[in-house]
Amino acid sequence: MPDSIIKYNNFYFRYKKNPNYQLENINLEINKNKFILLAGETGSGKTTLIKSMNGLIPQFYAGFYKGNVIVNGKDTVETPISELSTEIGIVFQNPENQLISLDVEHEIAFGLENIGVPKEIMEKRIKECVKVTEIEHLLDKAPFELSGGEQQRVAIASILALEPKVLIMDEPTALLDPYMAQKIINLLKKIQLDQKITIIISEHRLDLIMPFVDEIILINEGKIIEHDLKENVINGNNFDKIHINKPLIYSIARRLKEKNLYKDKIPASIPEAMEFFEKWV
Amino acid sequence: MSLELLQAFKFRKKNTIIHNLDPRTKLLFSIFYSIAALMFTNIIPLLLIFLSLIPIIFIGKMIRDWFNSIKGLSFLIILIIIINTYFLSLSYAIAMILRIFIMISAFSIFFLTVHPNELALSLISMRVPYPYAFSFSLAFRFVPTIALEAQYILDAQQSRGYEMQQKGLINQIKNLFPLLVPLIVCSIKRAFNVAEALESRAFGSIKERTYYYALKFSLKDWIFTMYLFMFLIVVIFIKIQFNLMPNWFYWGLPV
Amino acid sequence: MIITINETPKIVIKNVYYTYANGTTALKNINLSVNEGELIGIMGMNGAGKTTLIRTLNGLIRPQKGNVYINGENIKSKNVGKLSKTVGIIFQNPNHQLFSNSVEDEIKFSLKNLNLSKSEVQGKTEMVLNTFNLGKYKERSPLTLSGGETKKLALASIVCRDPDILVFDEPTLGQDAKEIEFFTDLIKNEIKKRKTIVIVTHNIEFAIENVPRIILMANGEIIADGPTEELLTKEFLINKCSLVLPQITKFNTALNSIGIKCPKDIRFKNDMIIFLENYLQNKKVST
Repeated sequence: MPDSIIKYNNFYFRYKKNPNYQLENINLEINKNKFILLAGETGSGKTTLIKSMNGLIPQFYAGFYKGNVIVNGKDTVETPISELSTEIGIVFQNPENQLISLDVEHEIAFGLENIGVPKEIMEKRIKECVKVTEIEHLLDKAPFELSGGEQQRVAIASILALEPKVLIMDEPTALLDPYMAQKIINLLKKIQLDQKITIIISEHRLDLIMPFVDEIILINEGKIIEHDLKENVINGNNFDKIHINKPLIYSIARRLKEKNLYKDKIPASIPEAMEFFEKWV
Repeated sequence: MSLELLQAFKFRKKNTIIHNLDPRTKLLFSIFYSIAALMFTNIIPLLLIFLSLIPIIFIGKMIRDWFNSIKGLSFLIILIIIINTYFLSLSYAIAMILRIFIMISAFSIFFLTVHPNELALSLISMRVPYPYAFSFSLAFRFVPTIALEAQYILDAQQSRGYEMQQKGLINQIKNLFPLLVPLIVCSIKRAFNVAEALESRAFGSIKERTYYYALKFSLKDWIFTMYLFMFLIVVIFIKIQFNLMPNWFYWGLPV
Repeated sequence: MIITINETPKIVIKNVYYTYANGTTALKNINLSVNEGELIGIMGMNGAGKTTLIRTLNGLIRPQKGNVYINGENIKSKNVGKLSKTVGIIFQNPNHQLFSNSVEDEIKFSLKNLNLSKSEVQGKTEMVLNTFNLGKYKERSPLTLSGGETKKLALASIVCRDPDILVFDEPTLGQDAKEIEFFTDLIKNEIKKRKTIVIVTHNIEFAIENVPRIILMANGEIIADGPTEELLTKEFLINKCSLVLPQITKFNTALNSIGIKCPKDIRFKNDMIIFLENYLQNKKVST
């Protein structure tokens, strides 16, 4: 498809000392302007897959690979990571280790300084990112003194400044309390819709994120077992079989379906479920 | 002793003339005063140099922090007095103490008033290659994080029965492993995480780097720098013409 | 749940205050009483004082005001090493404790200060490695284990000491369904052995399914202490603690709002399924 920003062609990867492949025969196409959930058990290869999207694998992490990964027409082996970082932005699991500056404003400017953006443009981009992530009041604070939710926002802002086409979040809600987790997910959806970029989120807490998702990628033991529209995946068998934390509404609907009491498609959110139940009032 | 001493080197944001000076000026200040301190072994000249620091401390509103740094040295000071008095003379001991006071104060003032951001910038303006200047400020940024991690590790190990006190030197050394190994491993893991994050933000790009912040020398910097040069010249002059100084200059304790 | 009135509570925290060296007051007037065999959860916003509170239980943090009693005794004079025999805290990050040459050695280190004979140590080590399915990694360096396995090793290294009180700090963080199930079975087992369990968690779904009593904290104070289904369904408490309503509560409310009279006290997923099965069967029959 001409629209794809990331395309995996029979990609394999294993670390140097490991005889087993971390990623096996990955064939994947990521398109523009989508909100994608990457789900899988712990150790299934989610983080490895994410790191292969901007060239960290195999450039930064030595290993053996087969096939290729093309990002906006560029090969992730032949293009320097610094260039790929302007196409693919990644916010890793622990935001604290990504915040390297001593004040937030400089943190956001950092990526732009690296690629040699002139100062006036830097100021403009910083202003935009700060507005989108709502962190105007944090600009002169030290990043490591912020709360978890605030750190996440700063990390997101510092990546958005590079204007990537894809923003990838590796378990963004892990260290956040539920209210903050919901806020960050809402923010990410807003960014996807406003900036028309693709957002890929690797998550364990599916109930918060499911209502916003367009597509789901299921990964198990290093292989992509399914990549499809949300409603197709959650009605399929793969989603049922893997040991991920399924949303409550999914589990309930699934059990009712097994007893032939639920005829519709399995709902991804409570409002969707109500559409079914309304018929039975 | 060590914790208080470290606190006295931590930057505090204040709006004083000293804080607003360019970091390069302040670096020059620390270096020149240290040179001056190393030139003399008599009490009076060192005392005069030390006293000239006091106004700077007052203007910079750093009295408490600076005093803490001196307090943190108290153990070292007593040690110096004892050793030097035994081997040389009490005068010499006091002179050495004054020397340490001056040097510690000079650098304490520097670190108390220079924002760590500016440190890297001042190194860059002195033509230090960016990766080195950056590693410098990165180290600063992560010191509190690593210190906190060390505390977490101590908590975790104590919670499974680890005891700090051990009998015998060998046991005491072996006893450091449960603290040091996790700390080193976590620091290495963190280093990898930071490196990944840096790569993912285009660090190491072949394009020429631009800078969001730039250091600017203002009038007060020129004035202060002039003072520093004059100060150094006077000090060197006194050192060269030491024999021509009035008698009270050589005053020392009879011991 | 039966509470025997004659028993001394296992944990008593009375009027505890604690302020950190940098001036932040982390605990204000904390009063808490936990009986033997109870399972309680501590929830609240990040920074509300949850981790500070659990650290008072084994002496890592000594309150400036107030007292902590374990098994009826004031722990003020006891050192952490001694207290850790009764109170085992498993912290969030397993990497903060792994350092031995092998998984087996890691467990043996945990058993060191318990004055056990060599054969007892060997026995307990094998047993706990089996229970946690870590036997196959016995000789491997703990640093080569995956994330999920290091978490299990951290659990194993405290559980093997068999403390009366087990305290978990965010045990379900980053865990998938299989691992959470393992953990749930583990605490059910420990409860059967009359252990007292305290869990600090953000995981509302886990709390509502498995934890009978919740302590809610905000700004260093305990703002509520009671049955989980009562506390986690009250919106004003949820808002104060930066939590969200459990999925089952939202679902329940939604069903009621469209006219399906779901009983408000349904708490467990299975109960909801049974209710809906009956409801739909009846509707099917009547149409």
